[in-house]
Amino acid sequence: MHPLRDKTAVVGVGASPQGKIPDATALSLAVEAFKRALDDSGLRKEQIDGLLTMPGSTSPEAALNYLRFGETVGINPRYTGSKVMGGGTAGALLHEAALAVNAGFANHVACVFGDAAATGGSRFSRASGWGDSFAIWGFMAACANSAITAARHMALYGTTSRQLGEIAVACRYHASLNPNAVMRKPITIEDHQNSRWIVKPLHLLDCCLISDGGVCVIVTTAERARDCKKPLVLISGMGQAYTTENMEREDWWYVPHQKLALADAYKMAAVGPKDIDVAQLYDNFTSSVLVWFEHGGFCKVGESGPFVEGGRIRLGGELPINTAGGNLSESYMEGWLHIVEGARQVRGECGERQVKGAEVCLVTGRGQALNCANATILRKG
Amino acid sequence: MSEYTKPLPTITDENREFWEGARRGKLRMQKCRDCGHIRYPISHCCPKCLSYNFEWTDLSGRGEVFSYVVFHQLYNQAFKDDVPYNVALVQLEEGPRMYSNVVGVDNDAVKVGDKVEAVFDPVTPEVTIPRFRLRQPAK
Ligand SMILES: [Zn+2]
Repeated sequence: MHPLRDKTAVVGVGASPQGKIPDATALSLAVEAFKRALDDSGLRKEQIDGLLTMPGSTSPEAALNYLRFGETVGINPRYTGSKVMGGGTAGALLHEAALAVNAGFANHVACVFGDAAATGGSRFSRASGWGDSFAIWGFMAACANSAITAARHMALYGTTSRQLGEIAVACRYHASLNPNAVMRKPITIEDHQNSRWIVKPLHLLDCCLISDGGVCVIVTTAERARDCKKPLVLISGMGQAYTTENMEREDWWYVPHQKLALADAYKMAAVGPKDIDVAQLYDNFTSSVLVWFEHGGFCKVGESGPFVEGGRIRLGGELPINTAGGNLSESYMEGWLHIVEGARQVRGECGERQVKGAEVCLVTGRGQALNCANATILRKG
Repeated sequence: MSEYTKPLPTITDENREFWEGARRGKLRMQKCRDCGHIRYPISHCCPKCLSYNFEWTDLSGRGEVFSYVVFHQLYNQAFKDDVPYNVALVQLEEGPRMYSNVVGVDNDAVKVGDKVEAVFDPVTPEVTIPRFRLRQPAK
């Protein structure tokens, strides 16, 4: 048995109000989320002795965010730091927290994120490329990398824009059942098809939101977690992998590291795709979700287009995904809310959008220019 | 002729051969003197064998469209007269891939897998940007 399987747990989750929050800052939203997660866990602030943070795109202190946040909430942690991996950060910090409590570096680690990207101005349109920027040729913005994936997937496998639309429609349907989601009005495939092009082949409704909000997740050992307020949510499997070579690696567009991250998480948890009751799959763009199904072994390479049709990924289907609405419709918290929803599904506290009998939830993250990937298996204790 | 306001490279000792090559109508990249790997983006170090020894080599300029997108959203005001404009990820015959634009045809006329060849677009007296055009099918 893997020495880390089921050894740690998520014991508190909290999210601030989401959307466009007047007068909010990245810091104020993170603090509110922290307070709510503390309340959810039943822990006192004095028990938090580990602090891991992701600075928001609007956090002026950037990688010194852990100092700013720690001072604001009055924590002098035994273990701390900040990490910047875009949508790959939430999962990476969750794993780091699990390793830290398992090693005894800290007893209770709060992982925190806040951003005021809607109010403070989006920073997601920059160009990639070291040295000569790809902006010389007009290649810029996060959407473009995912459009490269979508266009090649369509060319190789015949995947269609309507199939991408299935993902957008499913996420929006789930958001319609989530009172805390930002975009709750249901959409149709036709709405998706009629939404304007952003970077073709991606439409507006293939793209995530830009949101203000904060999220906090508190991690401790499985042993300590049994004394906390809510039902036990074990961290059963964890995996991460990265591709840094955007240009040198021919299959970079296909995000091959996702497969490695998933395989490691499955192996640690001793589960496979058939065991997953519900999945929170990182959805900065709809095309990102397609690739998760293939790398996660839910369907064969190139077959994710047909896989998402016919209600399979909606509540009541074979594999409901992004049951709170995801980055596409709940709020763009760069994957942090995927962990929150994963924990809530396993606890069985999701009301109308609860997947009946959900015991094993897969949560994934990815970030930067398709560079970072992680996967986590949460299991009912 | 109006002033060129879109992003331009800053010419340095590291990238000068690439941009001087483009001015002379040649696509040039770095070839490792130790392992022979042709690399892109430009770097002082071979990502395969870590050697610092390299030479600049002329490429054929031929390749094919590896992936292809069309920007409708305006992310940078300098492109406001260009949208919708295309960007192709081009697979070069010699191995490397690079981003560029396919010129001379409608955006909708380009598909993944199309054969392309480099053309050179002088945008300022100092800078010529390599772009690509569709190659005629072989006779
Ligand atoms: Zn070499």
